[in-house]
Amino acid sequence: MSQLLQIENFTLGFPGRPPLLESVSLHVNDGEAVALVGESGSGKSLTTRAALGLFPGGSESSGLVSVQGLDTLTASKQRLMELRRRHASMIFQDPRAGINPVRTVGDFLTETLLRFDGLSRAEATERAVKQLEQVGLRRAGELMDQHPHQLSGGMLQRVMIAAALLNSPDLLLCDEPTTALDVTTQAGIVKLLREQQQSRGMGMLFITHDLNLAASLCERVYVLRRGEVVEHGPTRAVFLTPEQDYTRQLVEATPVIETGAGSASHAAPGLDPAPLLKVSGLSKTYHLPRGGMVTALDGAEFSLPEGGSLGIVGESGSGKSTLARLVVALETATAGELTLRDVPRPRRPLKASERKALAKDVQIVFQDPYLSLDPRIPVGNAVADVFRLHQKQGRKEAKDSARNLLGRVGIGPERFDALPRALSGGQRQRVALAKALAARPRLLVLDEATSALDVSVQAQVLELVEELRDQLGLTILFVTHDLAVVSRLCSEILVMHQGRIVEQGPTARILEDPGDDYTRNLIASRPRPLWDAEPVTA
Amino acid sequence: MTATDHVQAPAPALPTRKREKGKATRPAMYILKKLLALVLTLFVASLAVFFSRFLVPGDPARFLLRGRSPKPEALEEITRQFGLDKPAWEQYLNWLGGILQGDWGRSLTYRQDVSDVLLGRLPTTLQLVALAAVFITVLGLFAGIVASLNKGFGDRFILITLTAAGAVPPFVAAIALVALFSVGLGWFPSFGSGDGGWDRIWHLTLPALALGITYIAMVARVTRSSMNEQLLREHVEVATSRGLTRGSVVARHVLRNALGPILTVSGVLVAGLLVSSAIIERTFGLSGIGQLLVQSIDRLDFGVVQAIVMVVVAAFVLVNTVVDLVQPLIDPRIAAGTESR
Repeated sequence: MSQLLQIENFTLGFPGRPPLLESVSLHVNDGEAVALVGESGSGKSLTTRAALGLFPGGSESSGLVSVQGLDTLTASKQRLMELRRRHASMIFQDPRAGINPVRTVGDFLTETLLRFDGLSRAEATERAVKQLEQVGLRRAGELMDQHPHQLSGGMLQRVMIAAALLNSPDLLLCDEPTTALDVTTQAGIVKLLREQQQSRGMGMLFITHDLNLAASLCERVYVLRRGEVVEHGPTRAVFLTPEQDYTRQLVEATPVIETGAGSASHAAPGLDPAPLLKVSGLSKTYHLPRGGMVTALDGAEFSLPEGGSLGIVGESGSGKSTLARLVVALETATAGELTLRDVPRPRRPLKASERKALAKDVQIVFQDPYLSLDPRIPVGNAVADVFRLHQKQGRKEAKDSARNLLGRVGIGPERFDALPRALSGGQRQRVALAKALAARPRLLVLDEATSALDVSVQAQVLELVEELRDQLGLTILFVTHDLAVVSRLCSEILVMHQGRIVEQGPTARILEDPGDDYTRNLIASRPRPLWDAEPVTA
Repeated sequence: MTATDHVQAPAPALPTRKREKGKATRPAMYILKKLLALVLTLFVASLAVFFSRFLVPGDPARFLLRGRSPKPEALEEITRQFGLDKPAWEQYLNWLGGILQGDWGRSLTYRQDVSDVLLGRLPTTLQLVALAAVFITVLGLFAGIVASLNKGFGDRFILITLTAAGAVPPFVAAIALVALFSVGLGWFPSFGSGDGGWDRIWHLTLPALALGITYIAMVARVTRSSMNEQLLREHVEVATSRGLTRGSVVARHVLRNALGPILTVSGVLVAGLLVSSAIIERTFGLSGIGQLLVQSIDRLDFGVVQAIVMVVVAAFVLVNTVVDLVQPLIDPRIAAGTESR
């Protein structure tokens, strides 16, 4: 069997620093789909780019990276361009960043055809339209004249795939091609990639941090950690019977939908406690600058008892974040009632004093800890400031409290004076969590609080939230797109779609027996391993 | 049909549904708004230009009769002749009405129509500015592109040269250029504006370079940083990964996307050239409007001053409006009102 892509003892690094990749060896055969799995910073992208001869400036590399016998480390520029044009294509993570926003879709697709294949504009356009249709885009002719910002993310990724397939490459490299997309969109893209790979007999190297995704698409898998391949083999064997500790941790940390896994026990039933948060007919509309309106939230209705945990699930644009922002009064509702601890929320922006009073009861943790912490304030002070503000503690007392609380979320005293940039993503999110908890809120809103984190870190943060919920009797509102995460943490679920709540109820009931088509779709869209039975079609 | 196909269906409809409303009228509205803003700015400018005369000390009529002991009747005569006895708002309306009909009033010192005085000088200045604009764009872009694509020594060398060039005042640059190219090498004339055609360009080369040197440095810096920002973008890597040549990638994906800021800065700079041309015109003995402006202020010839300032303001606003109108063609996201990244 011929090896399409062969990487042997590939080492890459910058002079004077430890290598980023160390003796990586992997291969992809003709017509084979191989996954490269690892967390951020493990070197997945570097490895894949090396196959196209794309190396970071100033780096030094050794070993062998060969595509159809062409060593990209030593090949001439001309040969490399030939390789990129005819034999290997790459699909990038974020199509919105990856397709030039100021040029039309047609221009993006045809530029290589016009330049290197000697096609006329009409021929190139015809071929591009055909390719767009093949990847499942309708009205392809019209799309050619549109600009990227006029297309949805899923459509754009299909455009990117079409561009990669135009020259019928032998090797398709995919760098997290679905990470920027919604679950249901992801399902469509994965299906498309699988179909194309199978029908064309292409070799495919698929990079992802999502084990489920890798299992749903690839026969073989390589697990990469800190620039080294720690384990490889058939996907099923690696995932079901991992040999290395790291792989085992990774598999365990990968969230799966758990139904009735004790999660229902947290809501104290029977007593029917007074609702902490009650929302009825809550709506939010935005006026667009040039007329027109967008209804971000339409008549939301639910109540959350003291000590309860509610998951709000939906895709981008479903209104879930708007709802979260309304709860913490970052937005003002257009219509409807929101009552927190029997205090109705006025329908106007809050005054500073009201906001402070509210912040004592409700705190929010945002998605990206890289953006939500002030880069110039040491983390210890950031937390101590909250104690001083809300608990009226003195400077010294606040510092002690902060040290305690940080210790509780797993940030040792040695990190007290560190700036956020000295911390990893997971540590930052713990600090953000500590900041929120320092106010001793009754309600904690988590807005996609674990989405930006690696699976292993996400698992740790979720565990921490679970622990704190049980210890402090926190009420939790968890906004996420990931059903598996909510299933673990929340006793109740609320599914949102296009600004409307389509379904709500106990987690176990909704996951096992969804009443709404959209919920069913959402559940069915989660990637399933190849070795499992095909998903039940709706 | 699988479950996923159901979801794919509404996706294409989403962007169109939002934008259906007013899709055809949007570009027209955009242009109309810009033009309205242009007219409004010019109107406000005309108010400022006209009424600022009343803030300047000195009576223009008295200035005209300098050296003679003004007889009250003569003073009155002159005042009436130039309409200075009427209320300010009426003077303004007359002035504005005149401009709209192409009559800019009469010059106090030259004793002829302001438009005639102006038309005699304007072409020289415009040619000077146009040539300077060509130098600025060509040399500025070139230096910026070369700096951006040659990291390390080339970049640093160009950057230092640019910083030095940018710090040189135009009159020093003018003297240095004359010393080198006309006195030393004898390639270019140091005086006068030539007879039109190639001779004109030949005469104006040194002045235009002297005028543009600071601006070349600025445009080059903007080009460099704007391109550096684009070079890091993922779409550039995507273009490279598709096997495009370096030249294609730079021209089609880096420079093309970097044009927005470059154009904005160039617009502001080029319009500003009209004002800075005064010193250069003086140094090279060109009779343009810059020199005329300085003289006229000195002689309280308010008719000419107002006309020149209005012309400069109009040029400034016009160039920037054109830049604004061209921007959506460069980056379609501006027209759509979506966020620009």
